[in-house]
Amino acid sequence: MKLDQEILQDIEPPAHSMHASSFQSQEEDSSALPTSRQASKGIPLLLVEDEAGMAAEIAAELSDLGYQVQIERTGPAGLAAARSQAFSLLIIDRMLPETDGLTLIEILRQENILIPVLVVSALSSVDEKIRGLKAGGDDYLTKPFAMGELAARVEALLRRPADLRSSILRVGPLEMDLIERSVRRDNRLLDLLPREFKLLEYLMRRPGQTVTRAMLLEDVWNYNFLPQTNLVDVHIGKLRKKIDQPGSPPLIESVRGAGFRLRA
Amino acid sequence: MFMTPIPWQMRLFRAATFRLAILFALAVTASTSIVFFFVYLHVSVYDDKQVRSHLIAETADAAIEPMERIRGEFERRLASDLRIVDYAGFYAKDGTLIAGNLPAPPPGLVIDGQAYQLDSPLADADGYTRDPALFVGRRRADGTTVILGRSLYEIHALRRIVSRALLIGVVPTILLTLVIGTFFSLRSARRLQSINQRVNRIMQGHLNERLPTRSGGDDIDHVAHAVNLMLDEIVRLVSQIKDVGDNIAHDLRTPLAIMRARLERGLCSESDYGVRESVHQALRDLDRALMTITTLLRMSEIENGPLRRSFGTVDLCEVCSQIFELYEPLAETKAITLYLISSPPMPMIGDFQLLIEMVANLVDNAIKFTPQGGIVTLGAFASPHGPGLRITDTGPGIPAKEREDIFKRFYRHDRSRHDAGSGLGLSMVAVIAELHGYGFRVGDNRPGAIFEFLPKGLSGQASRT
Repeated sequence: MKLDQEILQDIEPPAHSMHASSFQSQEEDSSALPTSRQASKGIPLLLVEDEAGMAAEIAAELSDLGYQVQIERTGPAGLAAARSQAFSLLIIDRMLPETDGLTLIEILRQENILIPVLVVSALSSVDEKIRGLKAGGDDYLTKPFAMGELAARVEALLRRPADLRSSILRVGPLEMDLIERSVRRDNRLLDLLPREFKLLEYLMRRPGQTVTRAMLLEDVWNYNFLPQTNLVDVHIGKLRKKIDQPGSPPLIESVRGAGFRLRA
Repeated sequence: MFMTPIPWQMRLFRAATFRLAILFALAVTASTSIVFFFVYLHVSVYDDKQVRSHLIAETADAAIEPMERIRGEFERRLASDLRIVDYAGFYAKDGTLIAGNLPAPPPGLVIDGQAYQLDSPLADADGYTRDPALFVGRRRADGTTVILGRSLYEIHALRRIVSRALLIGVVPTILLTLVIGTFFSLRSARRLQSINQRVNRIMQGHLNERLPTRSGGDDIDHVAHAVNLMLDEIVRLVSQIKDVGDNIAHDLRTPLAIMRARLERGLCSESDYGVRESVHQALRDLDRALMTITTLLRMSEIENGPLRRSFGTVDLCEVCSQIFELYEPLAETKAITLYLISSPPMPMIGDFQLLIEMVANLVDNAIKFTPQGGIVTLGAFASPHGPGLRITDTGPGIPAKEREDIFKRFYRHDRSRHDAGSGLGLSMVAVIAELHGYGFRVGDNRPGAIFEFLPKGLSGQASRT
């Protein structure tokens, strides 16, 4: 059991980690849809953003994915909306007219409104991110970002990792024993390096969910910078070689313009 | 209205030095006046007092002396008084003059042994004795009266001399101070005016102008010299900003131009696939441009931000093994062998995340420039002056004359090479090293390059970053 806890501590949920902005698009070998439209059907989101163009783009992207987006342009309006209606997630711009984004979050947290909050900001410094998360934000995304990155972060916040206490994870033909630190595919033991094991564990805790390269670097490697080369892709490629079987479709799909997804 | 030229009189009055001169003149006048005032006070009050007490004592003496002695004394006294400043009168009971030079007691004199100041009863032709005089009268036991007096002429004359001296002294002092003040203020006004003209020219954009200085080296020269040094620094910074600005413009312009061409070509494409492909490629170019901006912002954040980030103990050996693990698969895909040179723990004070990023950039670069089948090594080692890092590759190496330039912003080791980087990787490396007080020594691996991360300053060998 002690071993189990250690592993759990190693893998932080995205809610409390720092995220570098990601707008790197890389070569994709498949073009699956970023998120299943059915899954997000009608989930109500509140977007508080004063820049009309940016608000429209974000809203259009999220509406395309099936979310129901309400836009507010100022801090007080956003606060009023968040108080009066039940939203599943708030997306709040860091700098807002009248009431600052961070102040808005602090007020909500004081009033015990604990909806997950994604902070979107043009301020990229590490200190700003720490401030954003300290104020009660659950994730911090720096502008400019790829829409795929935004969608993945929203999805991650809405679908918190599955039960953290279970010591066996099962996704499709894969079975991971967190105590034995072993992975089997259809009862065949796979030989994984520690880093590959961690990477696969992160994906298995989020089956069917898109994870971006930035999310993987931050959460699996704990780095807050983005290397210039396709490092993450190489690691995923190596992992794929070990878990896939010739003839059957790859278990880890590439999501165009976003990242990767473990087929549920 | 605001800019109408001010007449020179007004300008003079506004000049700080001129105002100072006036202030100085006032101060001199005031202090001179105070000195004179004390002299005057002494002359008029102290002398007056002395004469008074003298007269009172003499009269008291005369009142008790025998009559004959008084007569003799009076005659002697008046005979020796050539300037006629002494008065004396000795009167019988009925008021007739027995001896002295006062025919009758001065009108208004109270005979009580006290001193009174009265107009002189003796008027000369030349009027000198019209000066007031002090008189003391006393009645003797036998009913006769003695009156002694002394003209205040001398004292008053002294007063007149003192006040005239005051006037004669103070007026030229004021005038002289004003003249000197005007001279100096006009002189410094001329210098300030020429400085002002230069400043105006500099403000109009002539950044190569400098303020005039003289060899003398007074206060104004010191200020002008400091301003000139400041201008030198500003010119240096402006040109640096301009260089960086030019570089950014160049670096952004290239991907934007390519992007534009791709989108244009994509629009003309017959197939849906063609349009999609060009949009995808354009997005990639745009991401590259945005990455450049983000990297520049991060560098200036690290360079200019206070050292708020948490510096702690970082084991360079651990940094190397993490980076080895991160990059080993990438090296493998390029058929490059990545070696981790093992070492005992090498702790140093630093920012773990930034050091990881720095080594990642260096290894990234090494792998990028090393051909298939090459070897890249990384490892920590103990230099004589502290823990260091060494990264080697078997790529084309770096010519000796370029070894300083590669850390500059936007410098491309080989411009003909079409690498995907922003050209900022090594600049970022240099910025992080600088933050830690480290520098780089770049050497030849025959073939390939050696990058050594070493403490700066102590060794003096680490190259400037």
